[in-house]
Amino acid sequence: MDVSSDEADDWFMESLHMYKDLHVFQLEHPTKVIEWTSEKSVCVAGYSSPKNEILELLLPLKLYAGDKQGLCPERDFKVQHGGFCDEPVECLRHIFGKSNRCVVTSGHNSSKLQVWDLGEDDSDVIKRTGVINLERTSAEGRKIASGLTEDPSVLHGCQINDVQLIELASGKVLYAVGTDSLDAVSGLQFVNANEFVICANNGTLYVGDTRHPRIEQYALQASVTRSRWSFGLKTNLPQSDLASCTVSRLSSCGQVLLSDFRKMSSPVGEAQLNLQHSFPSSDFMTVTWAPALDNFLSVSGLDGTVLVFDTTRWTTDLKNPEPIFVHRGHHFSCEAKTDGTPLVVTTHVWHPWRPRTLLSAASDGSIHVWDWVDKENNSL
Amino acid sequence: MGKFPKVLQCLLKDQVITETQVWVPLLASDEMLGSVHTQEYLSNFITGKTDEKEQRRTGFTWSSGLVQRCRYETGGTVLAAQVALQRGLACSTAGGTHHAFPSYGSGFCLLNDLAVAAKHLLTESRIKRRILIVDLDVHQGDGTAFIFKDEPDVFTFSMHCGKNFPLRKQCSDLDVSLDDGMEDKEYLSTLQAHLPWLLDVFRPDLVLYDAGVDPHWEDELGRLRLTDQGLFERDQYVLKSVVKKGIPVATVIGGGYSRDVDRLALRHSIVHRAAAKVWKEYVT
Repeated sequence: MDVSSDEADDWFMESLHMYKDLHVFQLEHPTKVIEWTSEKSVCVAGYSSPKNEILELLLPLKLYAGDKQGLCPERDFKVQHGGFCDEPVECLRHIFGKSNRCVVTSGHNSSKLQVWDLGEDDSDVIKRTGVINLERTSAEGRKIASGLTEDPSVLHGCQINDVQLIELASGKVLYAVGTDSLDAVSGLQFVNANEFVICANNGTLYVGDTRHPRIEQYALQASVTRSRWSFGLKTNLPQSDLASCTVSRLSSCGQVLLSDFRKMSSPVGEAQLNLQHSFPSSDFMTVTWAPALDNFLSVSGLDGTVLVFDTTRWTTDLKNPEPIFVHRGHHFSCEAKTDGTPLVVTTHVWHPWRPRTLLSAASDGSIHVWDWVDKENNSL
Repeated sequence: MGKFPKVLQCLLKDQVITETQVWVPLLASDEMLGSVHTQEYLSNFITGKTDEKEQRRTGFTWSSGLVQRCRYETGGTVLAAQVALQRGLACSTAGGTHHAFPSYGSGFCLLNDLAVAAKHLLTESRIKRRILIVDLDVHQGDGTAFIFKDEPDVFTFSMHCGKNFPLRKQCSDLDVSLDDGMEDKEYLSTLQAHLPWLLDVFRPDLVLYDAGVDPHWEDELGRLRLTDQGLFERDQYVLKSVVKKGIPVATVIGGGYSRDVDRLALRHSIVHRAAAKVWKEYVT
């Protein structure tokens, strides 16, 4: 008996009630980046072959049709712009600033950042417009974040001691972190025009200000050895006050810590997630806060699902919190199970203002946009 | 499902038919249902004892109104088959619940109306009958295929999209699996490659035709791209091919999924409009 087809059919029938919207798309090659370039379009890029496509995709128009969904048949993602990158793309960021059609990418095992123009209506080509050569090659992915100033800039680093802010137009280094720390960078993000947060692979948080090189460090109290950590910042972009930000950290063994910058000595919430599989690689861990739902947090990268939690009720030391919603779509519609490696969700993002809409991508090349039904409030 | 009464309403409003052409079915009896479904399932289904897991697979939450509706719907398909044998052509404004298996429901199907109708006609007549089920719903008629897999007097033909539900396919007597995105022209020519020889070789005494509209490009679940015109030409082709050979045909509306129920009901009425045209040209 073909158990997996049966389970997939069961999930399909349940999904008709679980989701208000669910649209799927199959990329030729998987992506580990999804970056918003407008309220209706995202950028994705390949990470697995020598020549990788960067694509700007328009989300299915049906999603935006509101009450008139029955009249809008367009439920496909559409490729608006595309280009080729000569290296696998580890990180891709849409750059804030004068032109809003600029993205920067970093590659695996690479000593450069590449700058791209997404193009306008007159062309469907994503063109490389510049290269920033760096001193150091990153063994793993170099992480990047957009600056939040009018003049486009990018914050990047693969180790804490090489984190720099570079002005895109001139390639000039505007700021460099003043510390010797060799901790590997797991992620970085600006909170406002000057202040930024870096998360290291070992879970230590660094807080810096581009107006002075001093950097503050918040190590984890009881560090979990051999765990890799990633982080998600809850902010009111683009101008947040650091003190009002909450930071979540996710470890590769399924631990989630919630911390408040006003009191970093101990977490305000902590949970241990129930892991179905353990992965040797933790390349894809993503933890993010919902922009439009208070205290909602989502986690992916540990298996083929995306988990959504309401952290309002989290205390310290919570075991196996019950998620509000689990997206199993990638797991059940996995079209190509190659070489026996289990499917993993490579990344996910929330829609900037639609409360329950997310996008997620998986290692089989699938990309989904979904909006789940809030059963508690009975809203459909 | 609000679409059923709307199908009849739009046919009357558009004067495709008059009230005198409308027949009302009886509830399908326990005995009739029992020729296809197991006693245990029927008993649980009728008394509301199916469990939550079973209900989830069907897409429905049990209610006594749901049971009534399903029994009338099945009765309607049986009636359409009987009227077709008398008059040559009859169309139900419901029906096509082809995912129902003997002991469980699935995919919005709780009782298999086509199977119940076929079994009823096989057994109620003293003369041997052969029945061809032509299922052009975008989803495979898996329940019907399973029910008749060992029945030589019923031939199940399903043309559907391979990647649509159910992923776990059964074996119809003839399955034609289509790729995503197929459009009108290629769809019709694929159908034309199979239906004529099937009619000539199997020589049915009755055709039951599931005219599901979910191959339409606006359908929320189907992965094909037929237009209204494409559906009409499909239905016209099937009905003409069968009627020209003097074989009676009964139609059911099959599947269709859209949040705009009015638009959907109109789409479901395409087969009735095609039938009215074929009736005028070939029967009267």
